Amino acid sequence: MHGPNIGWYIVLAGMLFVIGAIGVLVRRSPLIILLSVEIMLNGANLALIAFARHYGHEDGQVFAIAVMAIAASEVVVGLGLIVAMGRRNVELDVDKLRTLRG
Amino acid sequence: MANFIVWCVWVGAAFACIASAVAVVVFRNPFFSALALIGNLASLAVLYLLLGGEFVAAGQVLVYGGAVMVMFLFVIAYLGDKTGEAPWAGGPSWQIVATVLAAGSILVEVIVAVGLTTGGRLSHAASISRSFGTPESIGRLFLTDHLIAFEVTSIVLLVAAVGGVVLGSHARTLERDVDARA
Amino acid sequence: MRTIDAAAWVCLLAPLAATTTIALLGNRLSRRHAGYLSTGTTMISFAGAIAAFAAMLGESPAARAHATTSWTWLSAAQYHFGFTLLTDQLSVMMMLIVSGVGSLIVAYSVGYMDGEDEERRFFAYMSLFVFSMLLLVQSGNLLLLLAGWGMVGLSSYLLIGFYQERPEAIAAAKKAFVINAFGDATFVLALFLLIQHTGRLDFAGVFAHSPHGGTVANLIALGLLGGALAKSAQIPLHTWLPDAMEGPTPVSALIHAATMVTAGVYLIVRTHPLFEFAPKVADLAAGLGAATLVMAGLIALVQTDIKRVIAYSTMSQIGYMFVGAAAGAYPNGMFHLMTHAFFKALLFLAAGIIIHALTGEQDIRRMGGLGKAMPHTRRAFLVGSLALVGIPPFAGFFSKDSIIAATLDRGAFGYCLFAACLAGAFLTGLYTFRLYFVVFGGEQSEFAKEHLHKPQGKLEGPLSMVWTVTALTGLSAVGGFLQFGRVWHPLTTWLDPVAQPFVDASNAKEAIASICAVVLGAAGIYLAHAVYAAKTIKVPKPVTLLEKKFYWDELYDALLYKPAELISQGLGRLVEQPLIAGSIGELTRGFRLGAGGLGRAQNGLVRSYALAVASGVAILAVVFLSTR
Repeated sequence: MHGPNIGWYIVLAGMLFVIGAIGVLVRRSPLIILLSVEIMLNGANLALIAFARHYGHEDGQVFAIAVMAIAASEVVVGLGLIVAMGRRNVELDVDKLRTLRG
Repeated sequence: MANFIVWCVWVGAAFACIASAVAVVVFRNPFFSALALIGNLASLAVLYLLLGGEFVAAGQVLVYGGAVMVMFLFVIAYLGDKTGEAPWAGGPSWQIVATVLAAGSILVEVIVAVGLTTGGRLSHAASISRSFGTPESIGRLFLTDHLIAFEVTSIVLLVAAVGGVVLGSHARTLERDVDARA
Repeated sequence: MRTIDAAAWVCLLAPLAATTTIALLGNRLSRRHAGYLSTGTTMISFAGAIAAFAAMLGESPAARAHATTSWTWLSAAQYHFGFTLLTDQLSVMMMLIVSGVGSLIVAYSVGYMDGEDEERRFFAYMSLFVFSMLLLVQSGNLLLLLAGWGMVGLSSYLLIGFYQERPEAIAAAKKAFVINAFGDATFVLALFLLIQHTGRLDFAGVFAHSPHGGTVANLIALGLLGGALAKSAQIPLHTWLPDAMEGPTPVSALIHAATMVTAGVYLIVRTHPLFEFAPKVADLAAGLGAATLVMAGLIALVQTDIKRVIAYSTMSQIGYMFVGAAAGAYPNGMFHLMTHAFFKALLFLAAGIIIHALTGEQDIRRMGGLGKAMPHTRRAFLVGSLALVGIPPFAGFFSKDSIIAATLDRGAFGYCLFAACLAGAFLTGLYTFRLYFVVFGGEQSEFAKEHLHKPQGKLEGPLSMVWTVTALTGLSAVGGFLQFGRVWHPLTTWLDPVAQPFVDASNAKEAIASICAVVLGAAGIYLAHAVYAAKTIKVPKPVTLLEKKFYWDELYDALLYKPAELISQGLGRLVEQPLIAGSIGELTRGFRLGAGGLGRAQNGLVRSYALAVASGVAILAVVFLSTR
């Protein structure tokens, strides 16, 4: 195989995942949080596809496609929520949405 | 020679990937964050191509870039001002420190875990044929080994579509309840 | 199965059948029929006892002991105890007494308890008692005897506390049970020693193998004596008997006069070899019997409740039986047991007729002059009283005097017993006829005039009450003719193989004893007549010591109850409050604090939740990596 070996791809996937995680934890706007979740999912996808290449089976790619489909569905629902919130003039700040407080 | 080119492409794509990811997290304006994500997706597609996943790369660009991100941009445009100029990071400072620590440690652990378990085997990638990653082979796998995943995914998509419609509908009773409470 | 064994089983199980039937049928059985069922089965039991007796008469004296085992009851290592019934001379005698007098009393209570709401429960308990008592006397080993012993204690508790709404009745039932439990404990300890030293509990084996003298023998006899003292209400375990009069009168007659309280005497006679191995304990038993005899007689002088007078009289007469049994005159003790069953039951039942006629009044100060209104009862009571005092030719004369004569044969200690017995004879005459003259003599009291009602025309009470009292009157009159000193002693001959007396008074001593006893008894009667009937001597003021029953109750209260109360209160204050209640309180406080702290983690912020998830993943990854 040309280019870097799989290890590099894995490290890259880990970094993507972590950056996405930081985004989820630190940002307060639900939109940005959703985008960060997308980044995390993509990081996982990269790892899957890298291992698929490493072992020579396409199962990882199949899995990655499934993840993509699920991510899309999740984004649909998430955006629907955000639109609903916006329509009702609820402030789009995750720290203000506290009704689940125990 | 080919190796060198592949390395250059890799470095470029990787750099773009990380940079755009950071940009998503850092920008204040959600519009710019979304655009940065599109860049991220594109660089990832390049990386997929380097790994022999042609169909996946195409799917990434079409589905993610073409559908998901378009949706994002539509919503951002619809909300307009309402997206709010939420400050970059609010809340107590210990949360940021803890976050960076947690995230950093996860990264380290991932690297260590992978390194420990695989040892030196990562350098020996399997050899693949020309039909690796083609739609034909992916399709065959979907319809034979991973049929259930295929079907379940379709159901999930259906559910998500219905959910999206419900959430976005103009149900008058819901609006009246919320308005009464607001 | 041989006739005797079958008869013994019928005798034992008939009352049990009655109890079970009444208990299971409940309301479906009418009250009257419950009474008839109970009476009928007790009579069947009596028939069984007679059949066993008749069959036994035809056998030679040596071969009269029949043991029949239905199954092995308890089997542990090398110890095997069977459910064994022993039908021998002694047990047949007790069976006849228990079922005979028992059936008369149960028949009486059909009339006495007529109309009572809880009549079925009463008859179920009465049949249970008859069964338990028969089990006690028919048992072939000490373990089964213990079972019967405990069950009569239970029946006594149930029947004393029969009037459940009366707190005095409940308290009396508890008192009886607790004191009997103490006796049961000493009894059981004796059984443990017997098992340890002989490995068995059947009578023949125990008597053959138990130690002859020494500390162990003394302890065994002491343990058995403790049980006997409690069951027979002798000093120092006697305080429950007067209180037990809270139960209905038939109960007092059956349990606390004729049968249960005599179980202690039966035990001593049955296990007499063990007492012969421990002569000091036997002397102790005789001494306690004599002391109780005198004390109870004194207390009876000042009692104002008709039933309590008779109760103290019972206590006193059982003292006589203890003296007889412990002094070695076993047949005499058993003879007095039999005659006492007749006349004491008669006295109680006659008192019951009076109480019934006066709608429940028991205080003799409110009675008086009932003799004219109730002549039949008066005559019955007179016969019973004369039998009790021991005036010839009534039953008590023959039995009591034989015991008094036996004491003369026991040396110096015997003379002390003799003196006590004679003192008791005088007191018996005095208190018995005090009761007779106060209740039946003189003018009718105001209370009697108002409340006396005679149902059914000529009869002084319900028919069942009258005929049974008449029957007992007859028995008290002629029952004594079964034995008369050395001249005519079929009873001693009958019991000889089982309980051979080791004192046998000469004719001269018999004569001395009889004359002294009769003279003193008559003197007591004369004195009572002078004070209470002819009123030539003024009634003395009651002595506080006697009124307070020699302060026994107060002594036990101070000795046992108060310290227990103090200890429990102290423990409650010092241990329970701070340690237990306090620790529970602290525990809940700690939990509440913890929960409050944890609750603060639920702040509703999505981001902190996500942070928690991320931190958890980080930590868990380390854990999983390190444990690979």
